[in-house]
Amino acid sequence: MGLNPVEYRPWNGQRNRQARRFLVVAESIFHHDLRSKWFLAVLIIGTFLAFALNIYLVSSSPHESLTPELMAGQMQNALFYIFLVILVSIVCSDLLSEDLRSNSFVLYFSRALKPEGYLLGKLTGAFITLAIFGLFPSLILAMAVTATQSGSDYLASAEVMLETVVAGLWVTFFFIPIALLISSLTARRTYAAVGTFMVLFVPGIISGLFVQFDHNWRLLDPSSVLAMSMDVIYGLGLPAEVDAWLFYAAIFAFIIPPLTLVYWRIQRKGVGK
Amino acid sequence: MTGAMTASTRTASEELGDNPICASDVVVRFGATAALDHFSVDVPRGVVGLLGPNGAGKSTFIKAVLGLLDAESGRISVEGLDPSSDKMAIRDLVGYMPEHDCLIEAMTGVELVSYMGQISGMAKQDSIPRSHEVLDFVGLNEQRYRPISTYSTGMKQRIKLAQAIVHDPKIIFLDEPTSGMDPQGREEMLDLIGRIAATDKSILLSSHILNDVEMVCKNVIIVSNGKAVTQGGIESLLSQGTERKRVVLRGQPDAFARFMGMLSSEHEVLSVSEEFKQYTVVFVNTKESTSVFELAHQFGVQLRSYLPDRFDLEDVFIDALKGAC
Repeated sequence: MGLNPVEYRPWNGQRNRQARRFLVVAESIFHHDLRSKWFLAVLIIGTFLAFALNIYLVSSSPHESLTPELMAGQMQNALFYIFLVILVSIVCSDLLSEDLRSNSFVLYFSRALKPEGYLLGKLTGAFITLAIFGLFPSLILAMAVTATQSGSDYLASAEVMLETVVAGLWVTFFFIPIALLISSLTARRTYAAVGTFMVLFVPGIISGLFVQFDHNWRLLDPSSVLAMSMDVIYGLGLPAEVDAWLFYAAIFAFIIPPLTLVYWRIQRKGVGK
Repeated sequence: MTGAMTASTRTASEELGDNPICASDVVVRFGATAALDHFSVDVPRGVVGLLGPNGAGKSTFIKAVLGLLDAESGRISVEGLDPSSDKMAIRDLVGYMPEHDCLIEAMTGVELVSYMGQISGMAKQDSIPRSHEVLDFVGLNEQRYRPISTYSTGMKQRIKLAQAIVHDPKIIFLDEPTSGMDPQGREEMLDLIGRIAATDKSILLSSHILNDVEMVCKNVIIVSNGKAVTQGGIESLLSQGTERKRVVLRGQPDAFARFMGMLSSEHEVLSVSEEFKQYTVVFVNTKESTSVFELAHQFGVQLRSYLPDRFDLEDVFIDALKGAC
């Protein structure tokens, strides 16, 4: 401690509003991921393979305007989906598992942060980080296509661009609840990452086995549900053989129960259970 | 002061007096088990020790104060605020240093303290310099730039203290702050607590190490089976045994037996022990001491020493727990 110990000095600054403190959690996740070599590597490779080539090819080939079919096709691209799943696995795997491992929930909840604020912070942080891949490249593609279009109907292109914003936001958000759920079930980041990857891919294999009996089996697969929702957002409609109610029920099932379970887990951890 | 506290009938307004934390008849249950069973306590300002065996209800009380657990009945008041309705306001007033490992190991020390400061409502531009200030205070120098996963137990305890005080709370809960520290580190930690307390903070220090509590606390609360069984100033608790005397005697066994027969007829004898033909007797003497000397002379036993038998905190603690049982 030395001969002249440092005295405790009070702090007299102003505190910000409690409702905004979830943003601190979100910002921390964003900065943490931007320093992750794995995240940056997958982001760069994924953006190059899933977007960069397409941006060049589509904008250099003759086209009259930006069409919903073009953008829906891009958002349903298998490469885009694979890299998105990998990025979700990387970003979301340690969101809760790390806090479970280190028991750090008590540090958050002994402060003026509610479980819902904590969850919102984690969700927002993951969302902003994943939007770098889920939203912005597709928006750049849409802008590049619009900028190089030969036709004069820019209003139609702007409408598709608006739909692309909605589609990008939706595609960024869609897998996060499931990934958060997996992360809340284990204290090991690796398990959470592999678990997320498996949960997002294995249902596709299972649904592939049964789809010959009934096309609604496709709704078991999150990737198919996401692809169909792209059609809905771009106004192309659901495939005729898929039940609309089951489709919306599947969307509900992929989002609300996982988030509810995660919230319940966080709340229990907050009181040390 | 030792003895079970009766259930309080004080009103909330009485409780809100000068004491930062008051609890009256608080009941918290986990299923059928009452973790806090009509728990009543007034925590005065300054450094207060919270003592009790494992499972006594210390952590449950802290969680109830923070609003992490809801009380089934009873009232808690923290600086006039009710944890059931004002938990967020209370948490802004409180800093908490948990006992167990809870640090985010991927972060560096300064990152964690600054992060926790921001979650407590500090702006980023305030939290970074303030983090360095409190890390200087707790004595963590260049190590603050290393990931916490590389820290020793002592460093982790210092970081835990730093994150608890970064936002300058009015009330600080310290749960086993010296746990796992070497003697020098322990002394430094207690010194830090003393220096924080000098700035008018209210500190509730939960510890199993009675020496630690005795060194830094002015008041103590002893908890057992979900009840606060004793509370008061340490000085007054320790001075309650002024009439207890400890005498050391030598002599033939039959002479000693006759002496003891007479002594116990006139005084309350608390304990007798023998070691290497030397007898140690603890008894309560409310009369003149000369009578004891005369008695020893009369029965032919040598009185080697005659001293007041001062209570230490361990005696108070054990007595309180016995009383509770």
